[in-house]
Amino acid sequence: MWERVEHYSRLNGVSGDESAVREAIIEEVKAYCQYEVDALGNLICFKKGMVTPDKKLMLCAHMDEVGFIVTHITDGGMLKFTTVGGIDSRVVLGRAVNLYRTGTIGVIGTKAIHQQTEQERETVVKVEDMFIDIGASSREEAMNVVRPGDCAVFCTDYEEFGDGLLKGKALDDRLGCAVLVELIRSKLKFDMYFVFTTQEEVGLRGAKAAAYSVNPDFAVVVETTTAADLSGVSEQKQVCALGKGAVVGFMDRATIYDRELYALAYKLAVEKKITAQTKTMVAGGNDAGAIHTSRGGVRTIAVSVPSRYLHSGVCTVKKEDVKAVLKLVYELTETIL
Amino acid sequence: MELLQTIETLCGAVGVSGQEHSAAAAALNLLKEYAPNAEIDPFHNVYGVVRLAKEGQPAVVLDAHIDEIGMIVTYVDTHGFLKVSACGGVDRRLVLGQEVIVHGRQELHGVVAAMPPHLTAGDDSGKVSEIEQILIDVGLTRDEVKKVVALGDRVTIKSGFHSLLGSRIASKSLDDRSCVAVILRTLELLKGQDLSCGLSVMFSAQEETGERGAMIAGYQLKPDIAVALDVSFAHTPDADETKCGKMGAGPMIGMAPTLDRELSQRFVTLAQQNQIPYQTEVMGGATGTNADAIGVLRGGVRMGLLSVPLKYMHTPIEMVDLSDCEATARLLAAFLSEIGKGE
Repeated sequence: MWERVEHYSRLNGVSGDESAVREAIIEEVKAYCQYEVDALGNLICFKKGMVTPDKKLMLCAHMDEVGFIVTHITDGGMLKFTTVGGIDSRVVLGRAVNLYRTGTIGVIGTKAIHQQTEQERETVVKVEDMFIDIGASSREEAMNVVRPGDCAVFCTDYEEFGDGLLKGKALDDRLGCAVLVELIRSKLKFDMYFVFTTQEEVGLRGAKAAAYSVNPDFAVVVETTTAADLSGVSEQKQVCALGKGAVVGFMDRATIYDRELYALAYKLAVEKKITAQTKTMVAGGNDAGAIHTSRGGVRTIAVSVPSRYLHSGVCTVKKEDVKAVLKLVYELTETIL
Repeated sequence: MELLQTIETLCGAVGVSGQEHSAAAAALNLLKEYAPNAEIDPFHNVYGVVRLAKEGQPAVVLDAHIDEIGMIVTYVDTHGFLKVSACGGVDRRLVLGQEVIVHGRQELHGVVAAMPPHLTAGDDSGKVSEIEQILIDVGLTRDEVKKVVALGDRVTIKSGFHSLLGSRIASKSLDDRSCVAVILRTLELLKGQDLSCGLSVMFSAQEETGERGAMIAGYQLKPDIAVALDVSFAHTPDADETKCGKMGAGPMIGMAPTLDRELSQRFVTLAQQNQIPYQTEVMGGATGTNADAIGVLRGGVRMGLLSVPLKYMHTPIEMVDLSDCEATARLLAAFLSEIGKGE
């Protein structure tokens, strides 16, 4: 499991450019299910279980990650860029990024602190004022390795630290992908669909198409969600915390979750002794937003891994929470239908 | 020696101001080839005599600083998060969400906590956090942290060592390890030459917190002439072109009231004679480098300053062009070959 998580975290797949992730997943699941890739790049897998149920269940995780896209190359060889997905501009400056089409490394900086005015030193730099520097001296030199439309990701070390914590880029939502792959490769009771979606970070777009195609009755979205369990943050505003298990919320900014499934999740958590927690704020959103309103409506629940520093290069999660998510999702697949 | 390899080795070592042990050890190891008696003093200054001055010859000292900016642990809170202060001029706009290493009894890896957007949404001021407000997350409880981290331990932002296009590289602490490498490269170029001056080298500690190591090491070495090697600003699109050098255009020859006019001119002449690319950097007073401290040591020192143009100073992604490092070493070697001859 952890090897797979590391492998997936290191893969590069900014929204709209997820093929490397998809290929890696196909490689691992093709012996266990039927699959197809749709027009938006979603990977839709169907796995036979021991029982064919009357209703359809769809599990979902997104393959894409937040990142950057090159918009323009200046005469001087600097790359102008914009963010893909919600990246806080405070966590962009002073980092190396990987323009992964060609594996070109660039850095994002500004003039030195010594040359900044007092006001500049105190003000967060906006992404539109930043540039990626690949060491090129001219546009021509830069164009040898980069072109507009190329995507970039944070250069981050995937590693374990502290008391069972993991950090890496793209754990949102490669953790979900890893959980789904784990399930596809295991013995399951019911037939079900596993969908690995594209373009979640730019508006839950892949899931919308995939939910239409699969046409499920029930859906379980496996995700990561923001935990703000930091010193100085009130319990309520922490939303959820690392080490307190799988997160099953009642509502976020995209979805009001199915009340019966919500109750079922906690019933299973108690029965199977799986740690689980709800969210103490209505915050965030995920593919459930697109899925639950698909066609005539889909009864949907989301099970998430709590993560600190979610849309940065250093998504930080606790391994035991990932285990809890895997267990709870498995139990849900056994009982929803 | 291979310049790139030397720089990578030096940048890979850690040496936040006042705790330069590892960087000093790495530099000492490299310096010993040219100055077998080189040593580290109690302040973590590295120095070594390459050649003793003969009667009547000037004693020349080359300086580059061995320390790097970083953070220092000031407190461990009840949840195990570390509070820090700055060691040197940390750019606070880029610390959130960085990977860090806490250099305690053992190394702890962690990240600088960043409040998620739902907590900062109402804050449109775009105000940068004070360094004392940030939290370092090492994923441990206070008790666990206290077993390995003592107040006063240093924290560095983790960075890779990146080769970019052409001969450009990016890493932490190229300020001023690239110049430590320039000095070593200069000694390599001078190998086998008979100089007409005494030559000593110092890799000084605590430059970033006020040029303090250079005062101590420079005092010990008693120079008549000294050349400080440091990095200076290479132009980036958001900066004032008139206040920056250009990356790839050779060493920046310092000219300032605090520097020796004749030495500055001599560097220009030598660069022209030897067809070494160069640029000038004119300052109106102090230079903000060890040159300021060394120049007024003992009865005064004739001071020169050569700077390697560097982008993104004081960040984990500082950038230099190896061609500038090589050109700086060549100019410095030409200077040392000549100094003391017929004087």
